[in-house]
Amino acid sequence: MNHIHPSKSAVASQILIAGSVIWSLLGGGLQILANLQLLIPLLSYFQPAPVLGFGRLVPASTFLLTYGWIGSGLLGVLMILVPRFSGIPFRHGRLLASGAIAWHLAVLTGLTQILMSGSSGLLSLPFSRSVTLIFFASFLVLGTGITRGLGGTWKSGPLLPRLYLLGGILAFPLGLGTAELLLRCGNAPGAVQIITQLVWHSFLHHLWLTPLALVLVFQLLPTLTGRAVTSLSLGVLAWGILLTLGGWTANSLASQGPIPSWLQSAGVIASVLLFVTALGNTVLFQPLLEGRMDEIRRNVALRFLAFGTWSYVAAYGWMMFLSIPGVRQNTAFTVAWNASQSLFLFSFLGSVLAGSIYALLPVIKNVGWPSHSSLLWHFWCNALGVALTFIGYALAGVLQGLALNDAGVPFSTLASYLRPFLVVILVGQALWLLGQLAFSSLFFATLLKLFPFTAPMAVFPSTRTQNSDVAHAHP
Amino acid sequence: MKPTRALALVLLALLFTWVGQVALGYFQVGKLEPVINEETNLPNPPTPSGLAQTGARVFASEGCIECHSLAVRGPVGSSDLTRGWGPRRSVPRDYLLREPAMIGFSRIGPDLSDVGERIKEPSDFFMHLLNPRKLKASSTCPPHPWLFDIKLAGPKPENDSMPLTTDDWKQVVPSYQAKSLVAYLQSLNLNYSLPEAPIK
Repeated sequence: MNHIHPSKSAVASQILIAGSVIWSLLGGGLQILANLQLLIPLLSYFQPAPVLGFGRLVPASTFLLTYGWIGSGLLGVLMILVPRFSGIPFRHGRLLASGAIAWHLAVLTGLTQILMSGSSGLLSLPFSRSVTLIFFASFLVLGTGITRGLGGTWKSGPLLPRLYLLGGILAFPLGLGTAELLLRCGNAPGAVQIITQLVWHSFLHHLWLTPLALVLVFQLLPTLTGRAVTSLSLGVLAWGILLTLGGWTANSLASQGPIPSWLQSAGVIASVLLFVTALGNTVLFQPLLEGRMDEIRRNVALRFLAFGTWSYVAAYGWMMFLSIPGVRQNTAFTVAWNASQSLFLFSFLGSVLAGSIYALLPVIKNVGWPSHSSLLWHFWCNALGVALTFIGYALAGVLQGLALNDAGVPFSTLASYLRPFLVVILVGQALWLLGQLAFSSLFFATLLKLFPFTAPMAVFPSTRTQNSDVAHAHP
Repeated sequence: MKPTRALALVLLALLFTWVGQVALGYFQVGKLEPVINEETNLPNPPTPSGLAQTGARVFASEGCIECHSLAVRGPVGSSDLTRGWGPRRSVPRDYLLREPAMIGFSRIGPDLSDVGERIKEPSDFFMHLLNPRKLKASSTCPPHPWLFDIKLAGPKPENDSMPLTTDDWKQVVPSYQAKSLVAYLQSLNLNYSLPEAPIK
């Protein structure tokens, strides 16, 4: 691997990851502001302009956290990882860096539009067509860069990360393009618009972000633990089910809604099968982590990745639970679905992203992470924050659902029921933001090489690579 | 697995997702037409006015959908009808002329599918937008003062100025955005029968 000089992609990946860290702080901050207004409605009476109104903060923070934090972060770490496992270095470093800048430009433009002019009201597509175009242009460069040479070196390494990479990289442009065409260019009629929004929502989460995160898990866990994935057939089966049914899950959101009932049933089945898929993948991950608790405690990258993989099962388990008809009937239109988001986005994707950054950034910066209390702060604030947020939303959602479905409970009293849980959620979100602040201080200090000493945290020593070992270890 | 086979499988899976849902969905609910009411000879759902269509954009941009749903469920397994949120459940045909079509996924506030029937007076809508607690002290809805203009009153206040005491020579007047939003909210009703969802 010494012959690979990934410096050409290093700038692009650093731009993507640095931007991702900044968007996470901003998105987390906006989320807290929005929930503060929900907790203390009188606060909204003190704002003279719509920019910081609840109706704009919520879509803005969701957009920032999805496209800004997780989206650009995953692309950034993949730009470090892929040339190492494909064995083909990037070319045209400036073009890749331009693509990375364009991605952030799209996020910034989208954020400005949502805050200044408001959201489009479309699910997972709150920005305008111009932002879609910038995302496309950027992804054309970044996606081409990431997948370049993948076919030629297909057999030279583990198969599963490549399969997930292929799925994730194709799903984003095809999903976004089709949604854009149907929703804003083709003027799909009424209820078809709702179906299209639900499909795009599923695409974004389960066919783009989840596969990209699984690329990292399937590549990094064997590398960090030195163990191989045991069953390729099971892995390929799980990959096939995820790609085939991942785009169907959001239909279960529209409980008794104005879409054909067979689509709602299909959403339930897809949610159940995606949980089975997650269980299947866990069967593959578990032997890698078994008996490694000491290492998980010691190695921050492994700790985050392990937490991410457990959260992966939990997130899909919770999603399946919510989609069960009896439960769905009670939790539709409640904040129980926000609990799903906190598990999926913050716990699963966020932890996998953090673990990957901890594992991969030292490769391009030629330094390790400092043995610093910030590492611990990041992990515990992240874990506790996500747990509190999830518990708060889940309990509040169940209570809200029971009250909503009891016509004897006056609607005006519902907000007061939610208040204690909102306090728990706010504490959780503040903790998460604190952890993210600790991480950002570490990240930028490492990026600027401010620490004189480094602890042995890097998992890919810069003088040699372990990829070839992993390639052999894989079936 | 060969890369070409993997590529083909991925493309097939993505195609299956779009065709399976959107194309089949289109054949099932995309070709619906408004139903003509034999008594009034008017189409159901009613065609919204241009002002109401503009209002739908304001509704979206103000983020009202983050708290209010636009889909009445029932009668089984939901208390929506008992709560008086509509005389019947929402069906795909109700969304035929809505642009953008939204259903919302949260009920921090009540469902608005039939709000045009529940609140008749435009002035009540305007007051709710300007100061929700003026109408209902426990409301958690945020105010939208930016949808109103403060103008010099002149010798006679404008017809649509709000009945509020302000500083001398000032009046609070709904902006075009506020008027269009109220027109949209007034247009939201389920007070018409459809073959698949008759009002009993």
